[in-house]
Amino acid sequence: MIFHSLDFLAFFVAFVAIYWALPQRGQNVLLFVGSYFFYGYVHPWFLILIATSTVIDYCAARGMEAWPRHRRRFLWLSVISNFGMLGFFKYFNFFVENVAGVLAAFGLTVHEPTLRILLPVGISFYTFQAMSYTIDVYRGELHARRSLLDLAVFVSFFPHLVAGPIQRASFLLPQVESTRRFSAEKARSGFVLICWGFFKKLVIADNVGVVANKVFALSDPTFYILWAGVFAFAIQIYADFSAYTDIARGTSRWLGFELTENFAHPYLARSPTDFWRRWNISLSSWFRDYVYIPLGGSRGGAWLWARNILATFLLSGLWHGASWNYVLWGLYHGLLLLVTQLAGRWTVPGRQVGKWVLLPQIAAMFVLTNIGWLLFRETELAAIVRDLRLSPLGVSELDRQTGLYLFLLAFLYSVPLWIQSLWAETASANQAASDPERAALAPMPRLVLQGVACGLALAAILVLRSRTSLDFIYFQF
Amino acid sequence: MSSSRVRAITGLSALVFVTLAVPAVIPLANARHAGPPLPPTYLPALEGPRERAPFSADRVPDLQRLQPGYVVIGDSMAGTRLDDRRLVELTGVPVGPLLQAGSGPAFWYLALKNWVIASGIRPRMVLIFFRDANLTDVLFRLDDQFRWALDLAALDREDELNAVVARRLGLLHRVHQLVDRVVGAEQARRKIEPAVNAWPVTVMTSSRRRQAEFVAQMNERLGLDHLRKMEAADIQAGDAPAFDFARDVPDSVLPLMLRDASRAGLTICFVRVQRRPTANRPPPQSPALRRYVSALQAYVTARGALFHDDTGDPALTIDMYEDGDHLARHARRRYTENLYNRLRPHFQ
Repeated sequence: MIFHSLDFLAFFVAFVAIYWALPQRGQNVLLFVGSYFFYGYVHPWFLILIATSTVIDYCAARGMEAWPRHRRRFLWLSVISNFGMLGFFKYFNFFVENVAGVLAAFGLTVHEPTLRILLPVGISFYTFQAMSYTIDVYRGELHARRSLLDLAVFVSFFPHLVAGPIQRASFLLPQVESTRRFSAEKARSGFVLICWGFFKKLVIADNVGVVANKVFALSDPTFYILWAGVFAFAIQIYADFSAYTDIARGTSRWLGFELTENFAHPYLARSPTDFWRRWNISLSSWFRDYVYIPLGGSRGGAWLWARNILATFLLSGLWHGASWNYVLWGLYHGLLLLVTQLAGRWTVPGRQVGKWVLLPQIAAMFVLTNIGWLLFRETELAAIVRDLRLSPLGVSELDRQTGLYLFLLAFLYSVPLWIQSLWAETASANQAASDPERAALAPMPRLVLQGVACGLALAAILVLRSRTSLDFIYFQF
Repeated sequence: MSSSRVRAITGLSALVFVTLAVPAVIPLANARHAGPPLPPTYLPALEGPRERAPFSADRVPDLQRLQPGYVVIGDSMAGTRLDDRRLVELTGVPVGPLLQAGSGPAFWYLALKNWVIASGIRPRMVLIFFRDANLTDVLFRLDDQFRWALDLAALDREDELNAVVARRLGLLHRVHQLVDRVVGAEQARRKIEPAVNAWPVTVMTSSRRRQAEFVAQMNERLGLDHLRKMEAADIQAGDAPAFDFARDVPDSVLPLMLRDASRAGLTICFVRVQRRPTANRPPPQSPALRRYVSALQAYVTARGALFHDDTGDPALTIDMYEDGDHLARHARRRYTENLYNRLRPHFQ
């Protein structure tokens, strides 16, 4: 089931009504049943995978506590089964194609056993979430849960099941286990998040997505057209992914849950390090805690540090999809981080940077991010090479103007996104707005103003939503 | 209940109320900027009143003049496969192609009803080309971008098609439509959408003539001729999320096509094209798709139609394909001869 469907709206309204009429145990049973219904709505067989993953992780964690001497074996059981499923469904064809390609280079032709099955949506998200549970139990940071139901709710919690944000067991499981009370304040802030999320998805992301798709479908883009398309994609992917997060957080609040933030206005980042503190925060911190730090992090000298950074980003790229362009994207961001960190070592420590530098820094980082998005969006390696070689010189007047048109159109749709980011970064009043407790005490005019903003978002959705409904981009990962 | 809780609930209620009240401004704005009334649509289940392309009535006398022995209906799957001149040579009778790129079953049904049957001609066979589960998916290529093509084959009222579309869309979509109509969203959209799309051009040039010229040139620049081959092939268009013939057939135009053809004494031959082979082997088919095709074949043959499936035909090799499921120009003659041979008893 997808958020931007009336099916979901009907499902959610009915769900909330029943949910708050039940005691905590009943709520968890309903969450489990509802989440499985939500996930298996189109393809019921997906449920086999998530159920298998849950049961194995439950048993592995219980095994770790029952037989501490064999903790490592249980961890491997969890790692191999989770990554085995992920690898089989997501990377099997990629692996086979590449092996066949290498063999073909040596003159050996092999029969490629391609897998003609759908990639289960959200498998990368819930696999990583489930893994965080077993790893934390293995590390002794969490105790194994006795209730299979609670664990199943943690893994399958429907608001964020398909595209995150990935929640740590130490954060979400206690919420699953505790008694929840309906909070009108949380529901109100959740309602605002949901409206803003739907607006970003249906009005911004889907409309600029049409521009990006148009450009990336061209066989002969020129410089200005291409980069207008990349800009459109940059807006699309941020609006799309952050919309999903907002809707997930908003719906969770209606159920008495709090999910972690996943974005902090990433296009206002001033450096690659800053960008990764703002973009897909839940995934970045997962890789930091479960890959980068276990590899040694920044300990052990410059070479080991560089190796750890690159390995982490390569894996992060591969997490996004079984394709070389994602690997390239990960590598690119790893290198960016290395280069800027090394450059930072040469500057005078503690030197204050003037405010006048902020804008160029943000602009430069945005350009670098866009180069990354080109690698991310363009799936054909030959086309990436071609695109990166395009020159702004010698472009026809028509193509120059077409590029400008596409850029302006994408920019127009993105204006609310930029305003919101700038406002959130600069206005100190934002602190109150994002804090439900304080905002609840806000006077009625403020609530009316919020209502007008939500109403305008709803009106824009009715009038300006794209005629081409696109899936959330991160569903494919 | 504590006063802070009462305030919180009041706040939530006020927020929801104002949110829902704001879109009420749309009908007021529409009333202030009302244009000339638009003609009603032939698909009220799907859309509100709009300007439509006129019905292409010329096709009827054209068919009457041609008196084709065979009529071919379909999209680019038929267009890139059939060499109609060669088919004329092979059969010795005229062939009437009613092809429309980017068309779907709604168009094919209307072409059969409003052109072939309305013309009163009696061809020996009407060939309808399709991919996998397209025949029973009435919504396939029924989006706005394809509606102009459907207009060419549609009369002012198409009640049966509309009923099928309404059933297929279901209750929730009708609720959606109702909300759209109550707030006049579609009407507002027809004004705002072009304004938004035109804004960048107005920034670039103030001359209306140059704006119009630029838009025409840009549309051509971003058009079909400049698309990557696999994009132009629209290869995903044939994919269906799930195959279930029994579920889909009641909400499709297939029963209407079979009924109308039977009443008019026409024989339809449904030709399922082979999709792009993989490494010179027929494209893999899921068990669900195989079951779907078997059920489809049983259904249409039980109702007097013919069914031919290209899939698995060893003569249709990968070298014949160009982009996606389309055949290359050089392969059309070969394909036509092969089809003629496979269906020889029916071509005589």
